[in-house]
Amino acid sequence: MRQSKLNLRRRSLLVEAPSSAATDIAFILIIFFLVCASVQPDTGRSQIIPRSEEEEQKSKQSQNIEVSISPGAVVVNGTVVDASEVRAKLKTLLAGRQNEADRVVVVQSARSTPYLRWIAVTEQIEEAGGTVTLKLEKQKEVVID
Amino acid sequence: MEASIPSVAMGDIAFLLLIFFVILARAQDDSHLRWEPASSENVVNVANPLASVVIDADGKYFLNGAQIEIGELAGRLTTILGNNPAGRRTVMFKVDKDSTADLFEPAIEAISQAGGELVHILEPEKKKK
Repeated sequence: MRQSKLNLRRRSLLVEAPSSAATDIAFILIIFFLVCASVQPDTGRSQIIPRSEEEEQKSKQSQNIEVSISPGAVVVNGTVVDASEVRAKLKTLLAGRQNEADRVVVVQSARSTPYLRWIAVTEQIEEAGGTVTLKLEKQKEVVID
Repeated sequence: MEASIPSVAMGDIAFLLLIFFVILARAQDDSHLRWEPASSENVVNVANPLASVVIDADGKYFLNGAQIEIGELAGRLTTILGNNPAGRRTVMFKVDKDSTADLFEPAIEAISQAGGELVHILEPEKKKK
């Protein structure tokens, strides 16, 4: 007899959540996860490229290490190097160069060099302690009469 | 009989407004552009960029989501970067991984000329097991 009274009290405490709120909750959850996905921070790698100057300092340029990148090969100071060995080669060449200006590595790329390859090589230059400077080919206009 | 706004809804309204303004605050929205990032092992999160330069899969240039000619890039960036001090001149550089040097090198040069602090946007490379 006493047990049945207790059961009755418990049943009276059960309250069903209003079903109309379920859609609101679902909507807000969708928006929350959409925003979370869209504000995911970008990841990347910073690169310090010195400002280019019109006046070329030829005497200094001759002392700098030059790296040429093309789709098929990487050339460091005139020697063809495997793309994975650029870091080691540059570490050797940069050893003993303490001055920031002496650690400049002039990068010249073939026009068809893909970005993926360029990033891979310049990353190795920076890891070796070099400062990347671009050497751009100037476009020459030829007027034909 | 007076009808009152249920106070329970205030929390929902505030939350939706918050999300609305968070989305609006993303002024440099370039999510509509199609480009595939290159990957690298050493990447870090980019904080507080002032501008984003995109070279999409079709080789077109975009500054903060709007298409631009390469010749205009340095000037427009100089205006955007203004007199901000070093450390607050970050320019995100998003380049499709198959873009070639004749496209991305002039853009790097333009960012450099404008005094921007270049950050290549890359995806983290999965290390081989």
